[in-house]
Amino acid sequence: MRAKRHIFRWDLDKTYLATDFDSLGSLVKIAFEKADQKVNVPGAASLLRQLTRATEDAEWEAHVHFISGSPQQMAGVLAEKLKLDGITYHSLNLKPNLRNLTRGRFRAIKEQVGYKLPLLLKGRADYGPGEMETLFGDDAESDGFIYALYADLMAQRIDWDTVLGVFEACRVYPDTLEMAKAARDHLQFDDCVEQIFINLDRRSNPNRFAGIHERIVPIYNYWQAALVMEARGRLSAGGALAVAETMISSFGSSVARLRNSAEDLLRRRQLSVEGLALVNEALANAEPEWNHRPLVKALSRLISRPPPVDAPPPPAADEPRDYVALFHQEKAARKQAKEEVIKARRA
Amino acid sequence: MITIAVDGMGGDHAPQAIVEGVALLSLEGAVQILLVGDHRQLSTELARHRHEAELISIRHAPQIIPMDAKPAQALDALPKNSVSIAARLVAEGEADALVTAGNTGAAILAASREWKRLPGIRRAALAAVYPTKLRHGPKEDPFALLLDVGATVSASAEDLLRFALLGDAYARIVSSNPSPKIALLSNGTEANKGSPEIRQAHALLRHCKDINFIGNVEGLDIPIGTADVIVTDGFVGNVVLKMLEGISDVVQELASYAFHRHLTWRIGLTLLKQALNRLKDLTDWEAYGGAPVLGFDHLLIKAHGRSNPMAIRNAIKVAAKAVRGDIIGYTAQALAQLPEVVESAASDAEEDEA
Repeated sequence: MRAKRHIFRWDLDKTYLATDFDSLGSLVKIAFEKADQKVNVPGAASLLRQLTRATEDAEWEAHVHFISGSPQQMAGVLAEKLKLDGITYHSLNLKPNLRNLTRGRFRAIKEQVGYKLPLLLKGRADYGPGEMETLFGDDAESDGFIYALYADLMAQRIDWDTVLGVFEACRVYPDTLEMAKAARDHLQFDDCVEQIFINLDRRSNPNRFAGIHERIVPIYNYWQAALVMEARGRLSAGGALAVAETMISSFGSSVARLRNSAEDLLRRRQLSVEGLALVNEALANAEPEWNHRPLVKALSRLISRPPPVDAPPPPAADEPRDYVALFHQEKAARKQAKEEVIKARRA
Repeated sequence: MITIAVDGMGGDHAPQAIVEGVALLSLEGAVQILLVGDHRQLSTELARHRHEAELISIRHAPQIIPMDAKPAQALDALPKNSVSIAARLVAEGEADALVTAGNTGAAILAASREWKRLPGIRRAALAAVYPTKLRHGPKEDPFALLLDVGATVSASAEDLLRFALLGDAYARIVSSNPSPKIALLSNGTEANKGSPEIRQAHALLRHCKDINFIGNVEGLDIPIGTADVIVTDGFVGNVVLKMLEGISDVVQELASYAFHRHLTWRIGLTLLKQALNRLKDLTDWEAYGGAPVLGFDHLLIKAHGRSNPMAIRNAIKVAAKAVRGDIIGYTAQALAQLPEVVESAASDAEEDEA
């Protein structure tokens, strides 16, 4: 019998690659960068490699798909970059920006909801019920919103009219709408989105995502994602330690930083103390090729003196979210986060 | 990386201003922060601001020392207060220095209970950073240092010598001034002016080879900034500091009065607005963040009680800079010359008498 598949969908810029597209100069730089000049978000490549490696002894097979707003002209260099990183993937979807430009579809160049949601729906047609997905995005674009919309649509918590309302708010082009409808017709609806990780590239307030979807886990780094995934059984202790090792040896992180990241997860109730204790027990029993004892010790101390965290709030009423209102809120929040980053840079 | 313990509950605008200052600094990525105080309040506040979670750890302390509390009584009655726990974390090696905007007396007392005094130090000194007319050091720092401003009410000649060494170390490391001008506050510039302690201190300081002692200065030299570090006892220092603050408040009130009194004065002040704002920028206490408490084996930076987020950020940066420059090691080394200086001054005095 074929193993069940687990689908990992990744955005590229600011999620996998540490791309700076906040200025014209940096945009030009990106266009001329070679594969080996591109820099990863700390721990992203390591986590992805570990997630796909986990399949060797897991009950599921990892399928990796990239959906990025980068132009299709960059396909070659991005494919080469992923190859250099040792990432195997099933699809690399890039935006037809040149075509949008030549056809005068200027809104489509910047707009993300009308680009990514139809691709997610189209991609889902290849999978069946029970095949779960973990989605990775960032706070610079509307990834959290798009993934939440997709998750709720797949789980049938919202109807198609809600999606149409959002498309109207985004002013998507008619053919995009048709493409989304066609994709929808081939779907087997299922509550398939297990977790949505949002990399806080702009260090946005994590509370911003609380109202969007309960399965969103805003993360400050991929060590946090590794801890949450290990607690869920999607990643081995060795895999999580590999992410930690990469962050320390290649990206200047430290045991203190990793410890504080774990504390932040406890504080935000993204991980329970009991969950972290189990994770740390597995970490202690792992035998990586580096000295991980200081990290295990720091986490043990955190577990022995956990922060007094309030009980989780009662589950929200199972009412459909107002995605059109959320879309506008998110847009304003993104704009504010961007302005704050620019202001901080100037200061 | 340097770790600074921050009292999250101390100050007129705590915990909001403290947490926001910590969040601001964390985004700069250079300092680890242990934020100490009521966990619920601090984490709720932190979640409101953009911050770098990798650099912030919150340590729970359920009690708060009120700003107007009597230090000893409050510390005894509230043993789990934020400033004492923060000082303990520093003593245990979890952080390198402490920053608080809370009750000054309680902060110094908490430090004295948790930390050791440096060898040779009888009492700690509270220093004040204040704006002057002249600039100081190669970086043209608009601020000078005055110490002690209240930690030790009456000081002996040797205490004053110690204060001079502490101030010298601080100015060298934090103001990056390689040869700060050190002066004694007196009622005349001549060596024979002042109280017996001042005259004796003058004699001792003349024997200190490693510091740039420029002699006595008078009250009028304080705002001018003739010296980079002015040494006095805590009683006089506190009177001077309060007077400087009072003058600043009166000038602001007079300007406000003038603005509302006559149209011509209003026009005049409006025309001067840019220059006045520039002046405010140069002398803004928020820019230097906090005043050091010197003499312990760890550094305490006392931020102004009214500190806003930017002042807190700057106070933590000052603490980190002082730690990076190993102010404690440098001060201990400077204090080691004390016996030699005292001996040399005594033998000179004997020769003079003979």
